Amino acid sequence: MAKKDIRSILRQNAVTVMFVVLCTLCMIFSGQTVPYVIYELFGRLSRNSFIVLALIIPIVAGMGINFAITIGAMAAQISVLWVIEWGVGGLPGFLLAMAMTLPIASVFGFLIGKLLNKMKGQEMIGGLILGYFANGLYQLLFLFIFGNLIPLKTSGLVIKGSTGVANTIDLTGGAGGGIKYALDGIWKTDFGTALYVVCGAIALIAIVSIVLKKVSAKKGAIAVGAAAVLCALYQIPAVAALFSMVKVPMVTFGVVGLLCLFNIAIMKTRLGQQFRAVGQNRTVANASGINVDRVRLIAIVISTVLAGWGQLMFVQNMGSFQTYGAHEQVGLYAGAAILVGGASIRKATNGQAILGCILFHLLFIVAPPAAKNLFGDAAIGEYFRVFISYGVIAAALVMHAWSGIQKKKPENALREASAKN
Amino acid sequence: MTKSKFRRILAILLCVCAVAMAVLGGVSMPKRESEVGTAVLNTLRIRTLLNATGEGVVESYVAIAKKEATAEAKAAGGGMSAIREAVAKAEEETRAKYSSTSTDYSAIDTTELEKAMDGYVAAMKAYADSENAARQAYIDAHYDEAYAAAEAARDEKVAAGQEVSDELKVTVDMSGFEATEEMIALRAKADEAYVFVGEALKGIYPVMDDAALATLKGTIADITYQAGDDFTIQYDRYVDAGSIDALDNKSAAFVIRYADDLIYGAVALIIAALTILFNELLVAKLGIPRVIIGLFFILLCFMALLYDLSLSTLLSNTVVRMGMNSIMVLAMVPGIQCGISLNLGLPIGLVAGLIGGLLTIELGIPGWLGFGFAILVGSLIAAVCGWLYAQLLNRLKGEEMSVTTYVGFSIVSLMCIAWLVLPFQSLKLRWPLGTGLRNTIGLDSTNFRHILDDLLSFNIGGFKVPTGLLLFMLLCCLLVWLFSRSKTGVAMQAVGNNPRFAEATGINVDKMRVIGTVLSTVLGAVGILVYSQSYGFMQLYTAPRQMGFIAASAILIGGATTSRCKISHVLIGTFLFQGVLTLGMPVANVLVPGSTISETLRILISNGIILYALTKSGGASRG
Repeated sequence: MAKKDIRSILRQNAVTVMFVVLCTLCMIFSGQTVPYVIYELFGRLSRNSFIVLALIIPIVAGMGINFAITIGAMAAQISVLWVIEWGVGGLPGFLLAMAMTLPIASVFGFLIGKLLNKMKGQEMIGGLILGYFANGLYQLLFLFIFGNLIPLKTSGLVIKGSTGVANTIDLTGGAGGGIKYALDGIWKTDFGTALYVVCGAIALIAIVSIVLKKVSAKKGAIAVGAAAVLCALYQIPAVAALFSMVKVPMVTFGVVGLLCLFNIAIMKTRLGQQFRAVGQNRTVANASGINVDRVRLIAIVISTVLAGWGQLMFVQNMGSFQTYGAHEQVGLYAGAAILVGGASIRKATNGQAILGCILFHLLFIVAPPAAKNLFGDAAIGEYFRVFISYGVIAAALVMHAWSGIQKKKPENALREASAKN
Repeated sequence: MTKSKFRRILAILLCVCAVAMAVLGGVSMPKRESEVGTAVLNTLRIRTLLNATGEGVVESYVAIAKKEATAEAKAAGGGMSAIREAVAKAEEETRAKYSSTSTDYSAIDTTELEKAMDGYVAAMKAYADSENAARQAYIDAHYDEAYAAAEAARDEKVAAGQEVSDELKVTVDMSGFEATEEMIALRAKADEAYVFVGEALKGIYPVMDDAALATLKGTIADITYQAGDDFTIQYDRYVDAGSIDALDNKSAAFVIRYADDLIYGAVALIIAALTILFNELLVAKLGIPRVIIGLFFILLCFMALLYDLSLSTLLSNTVVRMGMNSIMVLAMVPGIQCGISLNLGLPIGLVAGLIGGLLTIELGIPGWLGFGFAILVGSLIAAVCGWLYAQLLNRLKGEEMSVTTYVGFSIVSLMCIAWLVLPFQSLKLRWPLGTGLRNTIGLDSTNFRHILDDLLSFNIGGFKVPTGLLLFMLLCCLLVWLFSRSKTGVAMQAVGNNPRFAEATGINVDKMRVIGTVLSTVLGAVGILVYSQSYGFMQLYTAPRQMGFIAASAILIGGATTSRCKISHVLIGTFLFQGVLTLGMPVANVLVPGSTISETLRILISNGIILYALTKSGGASRG
């Protein structure tokens, strides 16, 4: 009985398991030290996990992976350009960029939602191609409108002798000191302190919840116990040494945590239930009086705005971005990451998103050096991880389509039946 | 009612404008060669001449004034500083007096000069035409040499791994060119005529001496006539020199200059009027996107004419690009017909074709044999891959589009690794240093570069007809059309149109889908080889990734939907799409120099049309 359970778990999480194996192998062959890999991983998690979490709501609403989040990223980059142009630096600059992204991304999201409602069942390919299409408009905007029709004054944003905005936008300079590390730099601390703070917070919330009788004593005790065990583990010098290089940007991870809570909270509201109802079956949801198109529209708008903010967190951490390329792969990498964590194109949770983010970016860190050691060429590793990104999405789509047909949807029943004859 | 009335009135107004413009243009056009045109040019030429020589004359006056001032100052017994002051003062005064801006041209009697110029223009024209002919003959004689040199230079660049443009720039070295006897004789005649011009000028400006005339000779010759001049070029040259004020009737001259553009504009207006009038019919017959893209293509044609770009060269390039892309677009046909919708997994076939091409170069098989070998090997690999791919698609009915896209992407990135590790040996393929195959592999005359393009090709004016390429394209189209008429083809289309009905009539749906997918993949392999031979390069690594989208958008522009298509959609779609791209680039470069707007245009059109097709095919009513 137990054996069967393990097998079915393995089969259901084949992609995740494969990735764990792959990461382990690459880790062994890469020759990188564990502290360095963990240090890199924390950096990548802090800038990438937000945008992956932005994918969850459309998945729950039955629209698959929202590849149109690239358009949210474009909205963020438009905001960043103007924040730099106006010379607002530091945290005010970042908050201004967030505030600007909100309306821009909402409008974009509204348009995306309108279009995707016209191609139900084809949302993913539609979103992908919409992303490409929007990239054309983005190029028009940045090459021919900004810097030409609407002049930019800040030096470095436009290069003399070439049309349009410069290829790279630097966030360090400018009148206000730039928005690099605007969020990361507020409170950066070593891993130990961060662990104690988080564990303390967990324990506190658990105890308060028990006192207020929101959760059972058993569940609360487990949370407190787990926090205590983690802190105790960290006391072992060997474990602590692994995290010696890590500097945790507390506020950034705090915002990511808030988004996780938001994702949980919204699912408990009426709107969240509508998301789920539409995701399970549009026809039934429609029959039960839900305005399907409107619910899908809201899901896409929320996702696009969150993606925009995610891109802002990404660029403030990187300190500069490629004007014409930074958004292009956002949808691909985020989509692959969430699938790696065990999500499907119909079901996704916060945990899967975070786990996927960890595994996917772990592979990103270790694959090129591993390929260099094995084949003598780092380029193989580069191509390998691109292949993996596409391959994971392709595999997830194949699996989904397969299982959908196995379930014999009513529309397939006839076909299936006649195929047997 | 009112709307259609309004439209009719608008159309009539446009037509009236068009007729007016056409009449004006048509009447003015012949004037260029008539007396009116010659008179306009003569007036402009004389003014330009006077302007140019006037400056020389001012210098002469200044020199004289300086001399006089020096003499006077010396006579007055002033020191060096006094002399310098007097000279400076005299120069300033003289310049102010004679500067060309204040010259009153109407006071100058130019009858003598005009008469002299008539002779000189005729002589110069004879000379310049003769020189032009001689130079052209020289270029023709040495073109092959220069072509070989340019080719060698490009191959060197490719070998060094630099980017090269797909057009080969051939420049013939003119240093060996010598004047013919005819030229020398004509030159002497022109010189004789120049003497009269010089005398006439002396009559106008008494201070003009022989030395000044000698220095001005080159300038005057350039003003008078240059090789290849016609009315518009000369008009523009004189107007650029600021001589427009010389004309009494500027607007008449302006109309003569832009007579051709007026006629183009008239045709454009008539097309616009027809479009407005038959708007509904067109949209109903062709669909909105095709009308927009078709009109855009026509607009680009007119803009090319307006900016005096060579439309025939551009259309010739369009035809070549249509030929080179058409087979890949044709590969969409069996896919759509058998019901797998747009085959965005086309890169699978492309990669197979590339492997065939690589093997040909690796084994060093030359010419037609090599091309045939590449097609054969590519098709075989494509058939095997296509069969496997079809097995996958048969298990995923109804979800093909997104799956095929990502399967195609994965294959391309997997092949990126393969290109790095495959054990090819030829140095034409590998980087001389470092690992793996080159990004772009230049084909040369020992391989199959331009093997179809140059077959039986001929020129009509600036329009090169790539006969072989077009014949091959038509042959492939014919074969696919014949197949679709065969028993299997009809069954395949039945599956694509209505799988349930097809099953009910006893057709093996899965088998038909396999046939369609394999056929599509094989055509993809052939398509990339045809593309490469015309382009002159094989592109590896990430290059094939977007080609599936380009092919899909071309057939959609042609009028196909995701479930229905015809051969005519392939031809129309490829021509329109490639036409817009080919014409878009030079026109965009005139509007915004050095921009990449043409690439942006491609992204917008290609993805826009796919989105449109998706909105039409998506189950909007299932909500």
